[in-house]
Amino acid sequence: MAFPHRLDAPELPDFSMLKRLARDQLIYLLEQLPGKKDLFIEADLMSPLDRIANVSILKQHEVDKLYKVENKPALSSNEQLCFLVRPRIKNMRYIANLVNADKLAGRFRKYKVILTPQKFYACEMVLEEEGIYGDVSCDEWAFSLLPLDVDLLSMELPEFFRDYFLEGDQRWINTVAQALHLLSTLYGPFLNCYGIGRCAKMSYDLWRKLEEEEDSETKGRRPEIGHIFLLDRDMDFVTALCSQVVYEGLVDDTFRIKCGSVDFGPEVTSSDKSLKVLLNAEDKVFNEIRNEHFSNVFGFLSQKARNLQAQYDRRRGMDIKQMKNFVSQELKGLKQEHRLLSLHIGACESIMKKKTKQDFQELIKTEHALLEGFNIRESTNYIEEHIDRQVSPIESLRLMCLLSITENGLIPKDYRSLKTQYLQSYGPEHLLTFSNLRRAGLLTEQAPGDTLTAVENKMSKLVTDKAAGKITDAFSSLAKRSNFRAISKKLNLIPRVDGEYDLKVPRDMAYVFSGAYVPLSCRIIEQVLERRSWQGLDEVIRLLNCSEFAFTDMTKEDKASSESLRLILVVFLGGCTFSEISALRFLGRERGYRFIFLTTAITNSARLMEAMSEVKA
Amino acid sequence: MDCYTANWNPLGDSAFYRKYELYSMDWDLKEDLKDCLVAAAPYGGPIALLRNCWRKEKAASVRPVLEIYSASGMPLASLLWKSGPVVALGWSAEEELLCVQEDGAVLVYGLHGDFRRHFSMGNEVLQNRVLDARIFHTEFGSGVAILTGAYRFTLSANVGDLKLRRMPEVPGLQSAPSCWTTLCHDRVTHILLAVGPDLYLLDHATCSTVTPAGLAPGVSSFLQMAVSFTYRYLALFTDTGYIWMGTASLKEKLCEFNCNIRAPPKQMVWCSRPRSKEKAVVVAWEKRLMVVGNVPESIQFVLDEDSYLVPELDGVRIFSRSTHEFLHEVPVASEEIFKIASMAPGALLLEAQKEYEKESQKADEYLREIQELGQLVQAVQQCIEAAGHEHQPDMQKSLLRAASFGKCFLDRFPPDSFVRMCQDLRVLNAIRDYHIGIPLTYSQYKQLTIQVLLDRLVLRRLYPLAIQICEYLRLPEVQGVSRILAHWACYKVQQKDVSDEDVARAINQKLGDTPGVSYSDIAARAYGCGRTELAIKLLEYEPRSGEQVPLLLKMKRSKLALSKAIESGDTDLVFTVLLHLKNELNRGDFFMTLRNQPMALSLYRQFCKHQELDTLKDLYNQDDNHQELGSFHIRASYASEERIEGRVAALQTAADAFYKAKNEFAAKATEDQMRLLRLQRRLEDELGGHFLDLSLHDTVTTLILGGHNKRAEQLARDFRIPDKRLWWLKLAALANLEDWEELEKFSKSKKSPIGYLPFVEICMKQHNKYEAKKYASRVGPEQKVKALLLVGEVAQAADVAIEHRNEAELSLVLSHCTGTTDGATADKIQRARAQAQKK
Repeated sequence: MAFPHRLDAPELPDFSMLKRLARDQLIYLLEQLPGKKDLFIEADLMSPLDRIANVSILKQHEVDKLYKVENKPALSSNEQLCFLVRPRIKNMRYIANLVNADKLAGRFRKYKVILTPQKFYACEMVLEEEGIYGDVSCDEWAFSLLPLDVDLLSMELPEFFRDYFLEGDQRWINTVAQALHLLSTLYGPFLNCYGIGRCAKMSYDLWRKLEEEEDSETKGRRPEIGHIFLLDRDMDFVTALCSQVVYEGLVDDTFRIKCGSVDFGPEVTSSDKSLKVLLNAEDKVFNEIRNEHFSNVFGFLSQKARNLQAQYDRRRGMDIKQMKNFVSQELKGLKQEHRLLSLHIGACESIMKKKTKQDFQELIKTEHALLEGFNIRESTNYIEEHIDRQVSPIESLRLMCLLSITENGLIPKDYRSLKTQYLQSYGPEHLLTFSNLRRAGLLTEQAPGDTLTAVENKMSKLVTDKAAGKITDAFSSLAKRSNFRAISKKLNLIPRVDGEYDLKVPRDMAYVFSGAYVPLSCRIIEQVLERRSWQGLDEVIRLLNCSEFAFTDMTKEDKASSESLRLILVVFLGGCTFSEISALRFLGRERGYRFIFLTTAITNSARLMEAMSEVKA
Repeated sequence: MDCYTANWNPLGDSAFYRKYELYSMDWDLKEDLKDCLVAAAPYGGPIALLRNCWRKEKAASVRPVLEIYSASGMPLASLLWKSGPVVALGWSAEEELLCVQEDGAVLVYGLHGDFRRHFSMGNEVLQNRVLDARIFHTEFGSGVAILTGAYRFTLSANVGDLKLRRMPEVPGLQSAPSCWTTLCHDRVTHILLAVGPDLYLLDHATCSTVTPAGLAPGVSSFLQMAVSFTYRYLALFTDTGYIWMGTASLKEKLCEFNCNIRAPPKQMVWCSRPRSKEKAVVVAWEKRLMVVGNVPESIQFVLDEDSYLVPELDGVRIFSRSTHEFLHEVPVASEEIFKIASMAPGALLLEAQKEYEKESQKADEYLREIQELGQLVQAVQQCIEAAGHEHQPDMQKSLLRAASFGKCFLDRFPPDSFVRMCQDLRVLNAIRDYHIGIPLTYSQYKQLTIQVLLDRLVLRRLYPLAIQICEYLRLPEVQGVSRILAHWACYKVQQKDVSDEDVARAINQKLGDTPGVSYSDIAARAYGCGRTELAIKLLEYEPRSGEQVPLLLKMKRSKLALSKAIESGDTDLVFTVLLHLKNELNRGDFFMTLRNQPMALSLYRQFCKHQELDTLKDLYNQDDNHQELGSFHIRASYASEERIEGRVAALQTAADAFYKAKNEFAAKATEDQMRLLRLQRRLEDELGGHFLDLSLHDTVTTLILGGHNKRAEQLARDFRIPDKRLWWLKLAALANLEDWEELEKFSKSKKSPIGYLPFVEICMKQHNKYEAKKYASRVGPEQKVKALLLVGEVAQAADVAIEHRNEAELSLVLSHCTGTTDGATADKIQRARAQAQKK
């Protein structure tokens, strides 16, 4: 069932080194405040921290009590306080309040602020403005890469998406460059670099600069990773906005995978407790179904259950010696597998229940219609009904965005009416949300000139491609448009299916969306890797409005082993979804590549929409 | 060869001392050395002279001249001394000249007489004057120690990091000590002083009396003391003409010597080298130089001229008006080779090579002799080592030739020691040249390291030689050539007579993209010289834009700094510049600058959003960005305003802004929201309960749930809620209330705009099959099957599906057929299908 990798697939580099590095650095920082101390941790950092250094390690280094950084006065009575936070102004203010309260009470304590993944001048500025810069010591914990799985590194920076793509704030780019620099020092140099998107270009340039500044180190080392591909999230919003139907993605959509683990509630565990489960390649059961289309998962699990039963059944008819062997060697594994199996079966049941309730089939049908671009009116009505019935604010928003991007913006009438309906349903503060979405290009209105699209389409059929290109160029200068339909046609994103698409035996990456759509981001990567450059993709680049930001950088390949050339690091700036990961894993198996994923954070449609939403304080 | 050992003087049986000329000096000395304050830096450093016109009773009317010469007597600088009386001169380890004035001020000059800085040795000195001062070197750098008129000592162990330490008082001290010196032991500087027959040791807390071990009796005063280069040994000269030599701790005596001269010597210094065989002290009087060690006989030289001694690591330099000599113990290798009738392998090898050149067969004999003893390796090593200690290139060459000759007969002799010695000697000969004038010995050179030597060449502005050495030794560019070029450039920018363009071009031509060169450092230097334009030109060559920023800020080119910071991609840098700009410019100009830099603008906005909301508003105002301004006020209406009036007012402002932004939609929506807010407030007042901040939909729902149908209807009309929404809303609310009667009434009020399937669904959701069935019959034909299935009427559903002849519906029904109860239905469908296929 789970597809094995080709025999000649390259080995993955060992990323556990990154964890060790981060841990050692953290310990070093903690030891700089000798003696007992209380540690205040920002809520977002708790899970990542747990993956690096658990509580017992922290205790070993004299951390006494752990507190969450939240808007409540701290009860700690320790004489030394250590804060482990993201470099956010809000946190600095929290710390400042705490320190100033101590000062008022005539209390003197030692304070240490550890900012991760890096310090920002603005934060130190705030400390200064609040008058406590001299009272605290500020340090940097350069922990920017968390290996969530053997092939997945996450920067755990969900705010990257909003900060960069909405607010135009470029400060995380430096963090990305630093992370790339770290990777290339440990596993590099990377031989071939490709990228598309403004942020990708900037990160790449900054990283190159870092490399040049201390180039002597990596020279002469044997490269482990042959290609690196940087991609901006705004190159492909469509894929991220679709409902996920691959198991791992579906689990993420339903239960929210956080930092590589998921909280399964009582409805899954079939007990009265919730259970935190780590989802990665070490979970044998999960590893076999994570990339599967959901429709296969249940069958697979029941087959697995039968096999398990059979193995248990072998006990009968064993003599004592065999039994002893069985108990000592196999039983534990079987029990473990049993436990996992029942968990995933529970999760499946729970997903099924949820997904049938809200007419999941209907929803998927609408999404497919939007992707293929037919029955637009019907889909629009469906969305309107969705809003009217207050099904879910995030879901409604997602569908509106999907409609907008696939159609190059909503026609003015729909734009107004959908927004009005939305405000009536979910509250007027979403006026701000719409303003955000418009700025990010996720939900826009067709400019009056856009009726030309139709004309343009017709013309491109009549005139040669080149001439049409020029005309479209002139048009696209009017407004940044997604051009999804044209790209889809160019890259053949909607597979022509004769008969039923067999999801059990996928034939292309479209299987991650039930065979209806090949993820655009993955298709771009596939095409560029195939050509080893952007050559012949000029039209696509132009349609992506990225003429200045598509780049290739090749080095001589003589020192690269063929193995390393098939190891590819894909960097998603602004987040990637599990569906994309599954699709590329599939591509890797087909072509004998291995993909490694580096993302600013794992995302999905809901996270994307939440990042854009304005919620009342 | 016969005369080679002519200048060798035996000191006892084991060691020889030799003196040879380094340079013949043709400096044009105006004064006698004895009338001058003299300072000569160790490691072949420069010599400074200043006529000591203050010591004499009659102060000279002419101002003295401070002169600086290289060790070979080449003038480096000469300047008129305009400051106060000087007590002592001395060179720091960085070859800076420290001039200690009587008032405690220390003036620091560069090698070329350029004034660097000054510092003071404390306020106490102002009254008491400085009687005497020493400049000494420790592992921390160069220190200054002074003796004040109150007979107190003050010292600073490192003038680079000035920390004055006042030493404790010596009890009962009434006059100046007869002699004193600084000692350095265990990283602490002590002062040893002699008063009459007593010796006192001062550390920073205590003063203790010390007695040298085994000191001969009858001493009533110490006239001189000398501490060795490494602070390990100490020598004392007493008024009885007796010299005590021992360790610096005074606890151990090495030897003693009685020279029977009671006149106080002019100078006394140690002359030893690491691993000397016979440590010796050189004592100089007016006309006499004596080398004494642990032997009854001393070596004596006659001094024709007034001379000055400079202790070195491995010997003593002696310079006078006409010569500059070096006195040292002959190193072991040289001694072995050149000693008369030496049979050491090195000596034989040298002999063999000479015979070989003469084409004599004796060469073979000598060689055989060495080889028979198996000492050829040793012989080669000896020759190489001895070459290093020779001053004359000819002698170096013949020794190296011998080594090279010997190497031919060895199978595996690693060549690096030979190669390295050749290279080192080449460097040494180059710098010993008269024009350069750094007479380093091989041991000194190794101690000093090539890096420091290069620094010293740079300090003497001998850039081409330094670069040649780097290239010759193949030093990495960053440490070598580029560093020197950078220094050169820093010097170049100080040439004020050359135009900015020319300097910039000249520098860029030479430096190009040499790695490791920081153009910003050079530019900073240019700015330091007041050449701002040149600095900016130079910065243009700096490839790392981030490096340009701090200097640009310093030069008040903030706007240029901003664009450079943005180019660098370092947001922290951008932010730094922004804050600078904010303080520097008035608000309007600041905003205008931001407007042209979107990246900086977004960064600043992000900051303002959290820290300075009002500034954010001003920013939008400045840009006439009404859309964002509107959003800003909307946000304010939720976040910062509490009272309903305030919120409505904020919304009104927002609406106005939206109108200005020509965003009618947002303006209308905002106005609606104002209406809604007011209404919700009224509802809360009249009906109680919670309405504020509910969405319109939720407000209406709440009204219905509370039984206020009339109000709900009114609201729906007022806000023009579309029919469809109203139906969905009422349906959900009534079902929620389980008010089935009202629901039925509602369903019959007119034709449902949303069909009747939702009615069925919602009833089923509330598990009311009875009600659901009522509506199932009214569901339109397209959804009939679905509705019937929902209420569990599988058979009926089948009938309808068959009637519709719809394949999809048939399969749907079939999938709902459970084996036992619906068997008949399933059969029916199968039959219908079969029939359909027949047709």
